[in-house]
Amino acid sequence: MNERDEALKELLKRAAGVPADRELKRDLWPEMRPRLERPPARIPWWDWAMAAALLVCLLLFPATIPALLYQL
Amino acid sequence: MTGTVETELEQFTRGDIQAFETLFREYQGEVYGWIVRIVRDPGVAEDLTVETFWRIYRARARFDPHRPFGAWARRIATNLALEHLSRRRGEEPLGQDLPPRGAPSAAPDAAVDADVRAKVLAAFGELPAKLRAAATLAMIEETPYAEIAEALGISVNGVKSRVFRAVRLLRRSLEKRGVRP
Repeated sequence: MNERDEALKELLKRAAGVPADRELKRDLWPEMRPRLERPPARIPWWDWAMAAALLVCLLLFPATIPALLYQL
Repeated sequence: MTGTVETELEQFTRGDIQAFETLFREYQGEVYGWIVRIVRDPGVAEDLTVETFWRIYRARARFDPHRPFGAWARRIATNLALEHLSRRRGEEPLGQDLPPRGAPSAAPDAAVDADVRAKVLAAFGELPAKLRAAATLAMIEETPYAEIAEALGISVNGVKSRVFRAVRLLRRSLEKRGVRP
């Protein structure tokens, strides 16, 4: 870094300050635990139907595959 | 790595909640400490720490228990912090959520004029997330480039490039705002 970059760095450091809590003050496990106990999300039947319809469309009209990939 | 730790990691990859809890308690402070250096907001850092471990748990089957858990956790934490910065780009200037001046070890330097500070933070907040994270770690936190590179999953030269681009954009943005550091 040159002198100008050092000056910018110093300005940035002085402007930003230091986060108050750099160290974790409490145990976060009580917030983690409920997530683990939550049942996995079920995929609704409608999503499966849409996926099947898309697959059928692609099989019937393979020329649309490049266009679809381009959109992705 | 001790045999006990290795067994714990193996148990974790098989979905053992007890082993995961042990890892969580052992590494939550380290993960939080890394995230808060990037996002600069303790509340957000806590949420992202929990989210990091949730992702870790879901990806447990892909983890190689012979590799260091801490480095893997830090990589996932960094990705989450980057996602957060991307979502909040331009709307949450660096340090906005810090306690007011006078709070212990949190206040920005009083010698920096409030107007200049606001301009610096606004310019910094406009940086793309990847550049902002690299610049925060390298310039504000003075984290070694090799450490940043490992967490970001890029080479040391890649980190240098991001910092260089961040400095260039920041300088240009500050000049537009009438600040010439």
